[in-house]
Amino acid sequence: MTARGVLKALSPLLACIGLLCVWQFASLRLDTESFPTAIDTLKAVPAILTDRESIYNILDSLRRMAIGFTLAVLVAIPLGLLMGRIKAVADFFNPLMMIVYPVPKAALMPIIMLWLGVGDMSKTLVIFLGVSLPIIYHAYQGARAVEEKMLWSGAAMGMSARARMLRIVLPAALPEILTGCRTGLVLALITMITSEMIARQSGAGNILFNALDMAQYDTVFAMILIVGVMGIVLDAAFERIRLSLVRWSQPRGDMPLSFS
Amino acid sequence: MSARVNTFLIGLVPIALVVALWQSLISFGVAPTNLLPPPGAVFGRLIQQLLTGAFMQDLAATLIRLFAGFGVAVVLGVLIGLAAAVSPAIDAVVKPLVRVLAPLPKVALYPALLLILGFDHASKITLVAADALFPILLSTYYGASMVEQKLIWSAMAAGTPRRQILFKVVLPAAMPSILTGCRIGLVISCIVVFLAEMITSTDGLGHMLVQAARTFQTVDMFVPLIMISLLGLVLNSLLHALRGYLLRGFPEV
Amino acid sequence: MKVAMIEIDHVSQRFQTSGRRSHLALSDISLDIADGAFVSILGPSGCGKSTLLYIVGGFVKPTEGVARVKGKLITGPGPDRGPVFQEFALFPWKTVLGNVMYGMLQQGMKKSEADARGRGLLEMVGLKGYETFFPKELSGGMKQRVAIARTLAYDPAVLLMDEPFGALDAHTRTRLQNDLLDIWDRQRKTVLFVTHSVEEAVFLSDKVVVMSRSPGTIKQIVDIDLPRPRRRADLLLDARFQTYIVEIEKMIDDRPDDM
Repeated sequence: MTARGVLKALSPLLACIGLLCVWQFASLRLDTESFPTAIDTLKAVPAILTDRESIYNILDSLRRMAIGFTLAVLVAIPLGLLMGRIKAVADFFNPLMMIVYPVPKAALMPIIMLWLGVGDMSKTLVIFLGVSLPIIYHAYQGARAVEEKMLWSGAAMGMSARARMLRIVLPAALPEILTGCRTGLVLALITMITSEMIARQSGAGNILFNALDMAQYDTVFAMILIVGVMGIVLDAAFERIRLSLVRWSQPRGDMPLSFS
Repeated sequence: MSARVNTFLIGLVPIALVVALWQSLISFGVAPTNLLPPPGAVFGRLIQQLLTGAFMQDLAATLIRLFAGFGVAVVLGVLIGLAAAVSPAIDAVVKPLVRVLAPLPKVALYPALLLILGFDHASKITLVAADALFPILLSTYYGASMVEQKLIWSAMAAGTPRRQILFKVVLPAAMPSILTGCRIGLVISCIVVFLAEMITSTDGLGHMLVQAARTFQTVDMFVPLIMISLLGLVLNSLLHALRGYLLRGFPEV
Repeated sequence: MKVAMIEIDHVSQRFQTSGRRSHLALSDISLDIADGAFVSILGPSGCGKSTLLYIVGGFVKPTEGVARVKGKLITGPGPDRGPVFQEFALFPWKTVLGNVMYGMLQQGMKKSEADARGRGLLEMVGLKGYETFFPKELSGGMKQRVAIARTLAYDPAVLLMDEPFGALDAHTRTRLQNDLLDIWDRQRKTVLFVTHSVEEAVFLSDKVVVMSRSPGTIKQIVDIDLPRPRRRADLLLDARFQTYIVEIEKMIDDRPDDM
């Protein structure tokens, strides 16, 4: 690999290091107790990761996220595809979704907690709701964009409507759907954290605010770091999967404009 | 009946169904009124609240944070997105930073922001801006890099100096993408401001919700939820109208 | 000795395709174009003819050799060499008149003057009444007329036309060819016209530069000795016109005996 290639591959890492440096510098400058230095924070990370209680909390969070996300995918993709191809379905659901979209699903927590209690169910439900919408939207857009002529060819070949949906629309819309899933993944993480910050009981968000209440500031920042890394790792892993599934649809890559 | 009216009516059906379902749950005693107030009570309360000064103050607080955060996100997102699309040097710096920061749940930063910036407007505006920034930045970048090379060449041949190309050609040509990103950013702004106010605040719509929850006033809990939904709808429609005007020359995609 | 309007001096163009591979698009092109001449560059797809045009336009820098306009080295685009592209490349956010006025305003012309001149140009290309329309509302032929008007607006000495009528249907193409000759007749600018249509090249030009397949070199330069003004209907029945076409087609083809 050329020097340039190596630099390019390492650039996210370099960016992280750069950010940490800025952090370190800023915290030393501001010199308030509530803004620990990067180094102190990094020292606090292993303390969290080796604490049994904390690990259980984090695993709980991930579990809820996984369940909510999976359920959302199972429901949202078929719904979105149907909306994309059958106008009546789209007309039926669109306005409803436009009303629901701006409402932060985590904000439904207090109400849902009244109905379902403070346990796993309410948090998982909220994650399910939060993730469903972007996936429905992207599946809808993806299905809409499928060229009529492809479907006509399928019909001419004798494919039933169901077969056409599964074997033409679904694969053709897959790139868009996976983009929606990527957004959904990010939202799952966010909804998970915020629902835990609102309904403190267990989970990563809970750890965060407990530490905040107890003025353990380096724990607060360390937890943020951990959650951040979780987000990055999940996203990177998903991107890998996504790219391998839809290599055929990738544009030739981002090239800056040339003025020459 | 015209097709548009048809579409509109079909769309009302699920909403009407939901309201009907809502009402019937109460009427048939399936749900106790203290857990699920009837729609009439909720909307009545909403109207009642709209007339009080305290509600207006809360609403104003939310709106200030929403617009300030969104505004910052638009300005920064468009500028950085454009710069990264045209300058390989800036792109080399921005791209890895975005790759690292974009998937990060910015709300996790909220406690840090509270510690550094305090509990009032600043921390919330910053959070809103941080969350709304990336979709705008990414769609600006994408739109700007997709600008037809020949548009730029035509402008250069017509005598446009290089430093003006960015604002005279790239920005207008990327407008469809930018506005799409702004739409996403706007929805995110609504969501984030509400959430931030729920987590810690002394005023605002989100705070209203939490306050009502603490005092078990279920009717009052629904009011801010409906309010934020309405807000989102109204702002979205405004943005849509703006988009229609700004993009009147562009072919429909 | 009179300096040619355009001098292309041993120009070669090599493109990096990926990693180590590169593609030689143009190989050692030398060509002089006189002031006021209408010259076509003709060749099969991929022979680099558009690239040559872009080099003269200053949009692409040649990897070897130089190009000059009026004796001055070409280092970038400029209002002395106005392009007209096959894709029209009109600014979608501006109206028809806005597009045409663009170059004039860039040159510092006053808005009222640019407006009047723009309207005049639009009338000349047959689009009177369409000033407030947006490009998306026009047909292909009309868009190209706007593009031509837009380029003429800043009065370039050279017109660089890259298969301008390639995206149009045959009937519209013929009309625009005729209109182009009419306009050119009045102003006698130097025109460099890229095309892959032999008939179009012979009909329009004083000289046809026949290029080889990639890597592009100049196979031959044919002088078109037909009187002007040229009327297509007459020329189609003219034996000299037909002869030119057949001979040039043979030049381009790899298997001329099959034709």
